[in-house]
Amino acid sequence: MASTSISKAEKSYIQAGLLANPPRRADGRSLHDFRVISLETGFAPLSNGSAHLSIGRNPHNGSGGTDIMASVKLEVESIEEDASDGGRIVCNVSCSPSAYPHLTSGALDDLQYDLTTVLHQTLSHPSLHPKNLSIIPRKKSWLLNLDLLVTADAGNIYDALFMAARAALWDTKVPRTRSVEYKSPKSLSSASGDMDVDQDTTSGFDTRKVAHATDFELPDYWDEGEILEGRERWPVAITLNLVKTIHFLDATLQEEASCASRLLVVHSYESPTSPTVQSMRMLGSEELSILHLKNLIKEAESHTNTMFSSLTAKLEDEDFRRNQKARERFGKRR
Amino acid sequence: MVEITIRKRPRTEAVITQRKFFKKTARGKVVKVLRERYLRDDVACGIQGCRECSTEIPEPLPFSGSSEHQLYPNGHYLLPDTNVFLAQMDLIESSLFTPPIILLQTVIEEVRHRSLPLYNRLKALTKSEDKSIWIFYNEYRSETAIVREENEIPNDRNDRGIRVATAWYNTHISLTRPPIRGQKQTPHPTVVLMTEDAANREKAEKSGVTSSSVRKYVEGMKDANLLLDLLAADGSQEIEPTKAASGRQALYPDYLPISTLLAGVKAGELHQGHFNANQYNYLEGSVPVPAFDKPILLVGRENMNRAVQGDIVVVEVFPEKEWKAPADEVVDQEATLKNDDAEDSGEEGDENGEEVSVKESRVLSGSSSQKPPSERQPTGRVVGVVKRNWRAYVCHIDNTSLTSTLTTSLSTQTVFATPVSRLLPRIRLRTRQAPILLNQKILVTIDRWDATSRYPEGHFVRALGRVESKEAEQESLLLEFEVPYRPFGKAILDCLPPEGDQWVVPPKGEFDVQNIWREREDLRDVIVCSIDPPGCQDIDDALHAKLLPNGNIEAGVHIADVSHFVLPDNPMDSEAAARGTTVYLVDNRIDMLPSLLGTNLCSLRPFVERLAFSSIWELTPDAEIVSVRFTKSVIKSKAAFTYEEAQIRKDDPNLQDDLTNSIRLLNSLAIKLKAKRMAAGALNLASPEVKIHLDSAESSDPIDVEQKELRETNSLVEEFMLLANISVAKKIEESFPQTAVLRRHLPPPKTNFEKLQDILRKTKGLSLDVSSSGALAASLDICVDANEPAFNTLVRIMATRCMLSAEYFSSGSVAKNTFGHYGLASKIYTHFTSPIRRYADVLVHRQLSAAIGFTPLHATLHSKSHVERVLDVVNRRHRMAQMAGRASVEFYVGLALKARGEQAKVRGEADVKEEAFVIRTFRNGVGVFVSKLGIEGLVTFKRDTQFDAENYTITVPGAKKDVKISVFDKVIVRIEVEKDKNTQRGKVKMTLVEPVDSSAL
Repeated sequence: MASTSISKAEKSYIQAGLLANPPRRADGRSLHDFRVISLETGFAPLSNGSAHLSIGRNPHNGSGGTDIMASVKLEVESIEEDASDGGRIVCNVSCSPSAYPHLTSGALDDLQYDLTTVLHQTLSHPSLHPKNLSIIPRKKSWLLNLDLLVTADAGNIYDALFMAARAALWDTKVPRTRSVEYKSPKSLSSASGDMDVDQDTTSGFDTRKVAHATDFELPDYWDEGEILEGRERWPVAITLNLVKTIHFLDATLQEEASCASRLLVVHSYESPTSPTVQSMRMLGSEELSILHLKNLIKEAESHTNTMFSSLTAKLEDEDFRRNQKARERFGKRR
Repeated sequence: MVEITIRKRPRTEAVITQRKFFKKTARGKVVKVLRERYLRDDVACGIQGCRECSTEIPEPLPFSGSSEHQLYPNGHYLLPDTNVFLAQMDLIESSLFTPPIILLQTVIEEVRHRSLPLYNRLKALTKSEDKSIWIFYNEYRSETAIVREENEIPNDRNDRGIRVATAWYNTHISLTRPPIRGQKQTPHPTVVLMTEDAANREKAEKSGVTSSSVRKYVEGMKDANLLLDLLAADGSQEIEPTKAASGRQALYPDYLPISTLLAGVKAGELHQGHFNANQYNYLEGSVPVPAFDKPILLVGRENMNRAVQGDIVVVEVFPEKEWKAPADEVVDQEATLKNDDAEDSGEEGDENGEEVSVKESRVLSGSSSQKPPSERQPTGRVVGVVKRNWRAYVCHIDNTSLTSTLTTSLSTQTVFATPVSRLLPRIRLRTRQAPILLNQKILVTIDRWDATSRYPEGHFVRALGRVESKEAEQESLLLEFEVPYRPFGKAILDCLPPEGDQWVVPPKGEFDVQNIWREREDLRDVIVCSIDPPGCQDIDDALHAKLLPNGNIEAGVHIADVSHFVLPDNPMDSEAAARGTTVYLVDNRIDMLPSLLGTNLCSLRPFVERLAFSSIWELTPDAEIVSVRFTKSVIKSKAAFTYEEAQIRKDDPNLQDDLTNSIRLLNSLAIKLKAKRMAAGALNLASPEVKIHLDSAESSDPIDVEQKELRETNSLVEEFMLLANISVAKKIEESFPQTAVLRRHLPPPKTNFEKLQDILRKTKGLSLDVSSSGALAASLDICVDANEPAFNTLVRIMATRCMLSAEYFSSGSVAKNTFGHYGLASKIYTHFTSPIRRYADVLVHRQLSAAIGFTPLHATLHSKSHVERVLDVVNRRHRMAQMAGRASVEFYVGLALKARGEQAKVRGEADVKEEAFVIRTFRNGVGVFVSKLGIEGLVTFKRDTQFDAENYTITVPGAKKDVKISVFDKVIVRIEVEKDKNTQRGKVKMTLVEPVDSSAL
């Protein structure tokens, strides 16, 4: 992070390396290469959806790298008079002090707050809101708590957070509910009077037909439930680290410290080709011309595209591994 | 050393190792629960001598299974699925049903999920010694564990698991018994899957698993005749659909799903409560709910919708204009439904059905049309049943419903069983033993009540014995009122002092090893005596009084120290808590505590030293309390009097001994105490109490009935018991404000008295002031009829009926201003004086003992919820015990009447005639009360009469002119005991003799 202190000499050495032709990075990657990303979904069986993601972890001894655990917990929430219908999403990022040993607790709180704000604002945006978080209209709905825990930070925290969030939300299953209600039989009300009241109006203004459901039940208590509606929409983020005219991806801590500004672009892919920008953020102190920004956004689009498709492929693979393959393996052992 | 290795299981196996499910909590949260599952290869199959599985099994299944079944000559084991246990528990529990059973874990878990009571019965069954049951943990054995497939519903998953386990067993058996060269291969026993689900059977057969339905299986057993009766009605339908099943019309509306019911109740649109059948009219019932002052009325079969007395039902209330008043007619189901045929009743289409419904609708429409609107009650219909309260009912077989009465006939017949209780509907059952069961009291359980069947269907459980034999009648009484009457078990008797009846209070000093004398007061020299009814064996109270030098009087009440022997939380204590109270029947007593304690060690017999808990007051000569103290003590009673003896002694001026004087002293105080109580507004209530004269102790044939006589000494004892109870209540409430065991009597709602007030005003011109207990007492005192001394008692009895019953409660559970005892006009009250026969008193003893620092309070008595739970049981038992006692008296009154009638016949007199008072009028009859016998009866007229509901009169055509009978009129009735021809139910039949002879009516 920015607070990693490196000397001026180091800084200029790293910058020179990045600007050289061909560019040279400490770990031998090219500018737009990512470190190895490992992802596992469903690691927390008690949550409704979870993911464990790390970037740049040493595959041999499992050390180093940015490490994030994300988990989704659904809670039943009674809807108050004025609150909006159809569920809420609340994101929270917490950083383990061991990930940031050099930060004071106040500074750690600030960092958590910043990260939470970015994630929450982006993910709870109405355009992404899944439609199946409602339990009983106007009475009860699910409150989706997305908690992300940063256990280690080796750079590129934003990308990692968004990827982990997407994976956990992808993995989320909403328990099936059935609302129960008591409808008083028509015969009673209609038989009692000979006044001809229009009975079957379907007008939208007719508020008398508010459903009386007050409670719900779980029809199948073994079932994990259905997936969150619109799980393909959950966005991916890319951080473009800017040094002079060039940008590079997936910066390590030292590299982050040596570049003055970064641009975070968050894209949501309704269809695989045309992304919507969900959020954009400029981090750092340098200025950026409009023209340059335009180019950068275009660049970002191609990066998020690859990231989106490989992430989706991995997530589908995870689903397969955890269900079908596991079952087959179980079948074989007998 | 056993090597222990803990292997971390890879997360990739999560599907197999983890079982996840959701739970909805009571507060509406959804919780995800995770269970880790470890699969192993050493879960034993439980078959004797299996060479694969471990051999050290205490009670293994026999090696070659059971070969008694004719379909499986090679031997078999039975593996029932869940529904078999859910539906046919009586069959499995039968001692004749003995095949070796393999019980799968899946099945146990499913049973628990579906029904907790059945699960408990199943658990008990697995432990019973006469069954050979092996529990196989199939979900933990790696070969039989299964994983839920995608989109598989839980039920299918379980069924598959059961099939897999059955198949595994069969392969397991054949693998572990390879052919041995040179020996003839014996065929292996099969594991038979028992299931009622035809689809499941089909799948099983497909995969090579032998399966059978319950009926088919039982039919092949050797005691098939006896066992087939135990089959719940459930089973018969699927296999051999009865002839008209498809064409059957639903007679009742369907129930709403349970979740909808709960939602409706929550939203306040539906109401939940206990269903109470009307004992006069089987087509009417009511459900008291908190939302209305009056209970919700249910009129007619459809609206009662298969509810049975005691069920917790959910009711929908009709709009107010459809509300009705309760009917004023006696409708007897036996009379109306006499011709209903058991074989095909329920089919609306047939003649009978039509006839019945016509009759019933006439009955319904005839009433309630011209009723004043004030009598209207909320009216509704049952839309669902939350909890069935079905148990085994004592019944008679209705002999008209039998098609064949030959005792040799073993064909299955469908017959009606009429429950003894008038509150229950007739039960239809299929039995092969019908002819044998005639004239017997039998136990019948209801299995189900379909929407297409007019009557509930049930099955025969066991026979109790011949009708009117005392054993059968007594057992049926106990069963009917759910009195636990089994003898005390060994664990309970082990809690008694090891010395048995040799136990004595040890001498004071060094020989007192158990330290019994610690902090006990030595009251052995005090002149204590007990006064009880004649023949009383469990003496739990004794009294003393003496003059103090300062002119005041010291009075003491000494109560048996039961809590010294009954320690908290041991088996004896739990049993006593479950029994709640001793039940007194006319010729029997069902004890709450083992009789060694009740009638010996705790009983304050004269001339022996006994442990007591004493309450000692200093009273002024005007009976004002100066001080009170409580202490544990040792007493030595000087005499055990009956009420009569004590009275005679007191009244004999020649006797001037200390004992007599102390009785006189007590009596003078008691009179003043009573006067004070009455001034405070206590009620003098009356209940019809009669005494049965038994011929001799052995034969216990009743010869006569007389009303109980009350003497001054009865009142003496009563006053001091009340004083002790009130003083103790104050003390324990002070010490344990949250958990003190108290007793209260809530003031009755004014509406309860409305009808009585109205009757009194209209017939006698009297008014009843019910604003407070004092006002009521005063106005009851002026309710007199100069010509009729018994009238006052009658009004008192009727007023008592309007009141609520007293109950035990824990002081922390209700608001302090509701502690009061209405009848006694006391602000606080408890029961302290009869710990031998009431469990609440035992709790009070423990609390008082803790309050005076004698013993620490047991932890359970600090828990409000625990005390509440115990008291709930005690309250219920108490109610049941009272009803059982009353029913027992009624039975003996019936016997006595019969005896008297026979004597009368011998002497050539006509029959028994008694004076009676009219207490209720119906459209077609009057309810009467025979005060001399303490019984209520019903006189019904076949012909129509003029009925004036407003003025509670009925006009019947007399010999010369019409006679008007109104409530409170004195009439003379002829009383006969006749056996109901159909059901063999002994029935007191009353007919009017004066003013009109109603036998022709």
